[in-house]
Amino acid sequence: MSKTKILLLCFPALLTITPFLAACFFIFRFSFSANQGAIEGFSFTPYLELADPFFIRSLLTTFKLASFSTVIVIVLAIPLALVMATVQKPWLRRLLSVAILMPMILNLLIQSYGWIILLGPTGVLNTSLRELGLISRPIMLLFNESGVLLGLVQTALPLAVFPILTATRNISEEHIEAACVNGASHWRCFFDITLPLLKPGIISGASIVFAYNASAFAIPLLLGGRRVQMLGVAIRDYISPLFNWSGAAAAGMVLIALTIGVLALANYLTQRWTVTEYQS
Amino acid sequence: MRVGIIPQQSGGSYKFTIYLLASLGLLIATLPVIIIALMSFSAAETTSFPPQAYSLRWYIKMFELFQPNGENSDASLQIALLTSLKVAALVMLIASVVCVPLAYVLVRSGGRLKNGMELLFTLPLVFPLVILGIAFLLIAESLDLELGIWRLVIPHVALVLPFVLRNCVGAMSSIDIELEQAAISLGASPLRAGVDIVVPLMKPGIIAGLVFALIISFNEFTITYFMYTVDVTTLPIWMYSRTVSSLDPSTLAISFVIVLIDLALILLIDKLLAGRNSLL
Repeated sequence: MSKTKILLLCFPALLTITPFLAACFFIFRFSFSANQGAIEGFSFTPYLELADPFFIRSLLTTFKLASFSTVIVIVLAIPLALVMATVQKPWLRRLLSVAILMPMILNLLIQSYGWIILLGPTGVLNTSLRELGLISRPIMLLFNESGVLLGLVQTALPLAVFPILTATRNISEEHIEAACVNGASHWRCFFDITLPLLKPGIISGASIVFAYNASAFAIPLLLGGRRVQMLGVAIRDYISPLFNWSGAAAAGMVLIALTIGVLALANYLTQRWTVTEYQS
Repeated sequence: MRVGIIPQQSGGSYKFTIYLLASLGLLIATLPVIIIALMSFSAAETTSFPPQAYSLRWYIKMFELFQPNGENSDASLQIALLTSLKVAALVMLIASVVCVPLAYVLVRSGGRLKNGMELLFTLPLVFPLVILGIAFLLIAESLDLELGIWRLVIPHVALVLPFVLRNCVGAMSSIDIELEQAAISLGASPLRAGVDIVVPLMKPGIIAGLVFALIISFNEFTITYFMYTVDVTTLPIWMYSRTVSSLDPSTLAISFVIVLIDLALILLIDKLLAGRNSLL
């Protein structure tokens, strides 16, 4: 194919991705602006001003919720992937895949309605606990960190299940059988054989879940109310009540660095491990 | 081959724990949608659970909301739905028109161009949505652009490009170059061979990509939250603004209809990509 033809056929697609690249560049440039409301001059002030309690607290909240949710998601995703890998009936397999994919396909807004009905002050859980006489006042599960955590776990679950499911292809029956013949217990087999073989899938799943949840916006907005200021929501506040656009841009750059850093680290780790396994 | 991952006969506490955690994961993934489905058929005014009686009253209410010029019709809802559909249609049209030629070039030329371009067009997938929303907002505001419906179409196109391109490349890879060469040697121009031979063969992949685009654009919340205006509002934003204070069961009916449409579309993709297993 000639160069002109290649360029001609690529051009429309490059044109449609230009606004995205422009947006990336714009937020980068804005984060070094000397003026809060417009791109003007060059300064590190937007970054230096991030060292205030509001931003630090939101960074810590983000870190905490993203880490907790990642751990919980992985603990749930490994058994799910193992079960899916063993299911033989095609219809059951398909049903399971659709059920697990659901949190990803469906509108986050709609899913949070479900959690509000379930966990809200007059929701399913509180009403039934009260009828059973176990509590006298409703437990607050929503509009605080526990509600957000639950939402994050739910929406990110598919992101971990599928990489781990792919990794189960590394496990052959012989591995497990060899261990069992030698008298290892099922738990021993799991921790010594299954888990190490799943490691690449777990690492990539965990990094995707962490990056996705650290930059969550809809879930903390809808389930966290004003009280849980994860980075996404905090950045919104820079824009809307504060009108500090350069601050929002700088905070955004920190979030990008955090998510891309975690993804790159995971990528590096899995590659290094694969290489060592080849060599050994 | 993978029978040994979970023991079939014995297994005791290990097997129990695996199945328990897997069921818990499945429950968390699907619970919000199940609750919405049940509540949307409730006969009661409030969202107390379980419903005392079931009825279709909220679905009837929903139809009345959509009726043009009816007693209970809601013009803002109808406009929002129309905008959502217009945006999705434009996004699907643009994404497919630019991705088909790009996929053709990438598969036929291969090598470094393919890797680089695929990386470039995956970027919108890893970029935090909040930041994209803010970046697009800052561009539109500081350049004072009058974009109308394109405020939403441009960012949505960037979001769906990775999915559409991936499906087009997948479809293109399985097309033999000899089919094209045969057409050209029989006297067809390269353009004609592309349009008459290659595009029809790519059709399942193109359609699967388009359905992905439809699902993503129609359900998009985060970027739209930053970009919408009074004149350009989509259905998810309409639902959000209506339910900020309290949940209305007719919104749950709308939600469940959207859920059903999304599920039907996913099953369609599954059918189109039968056996290729490239849902993720």
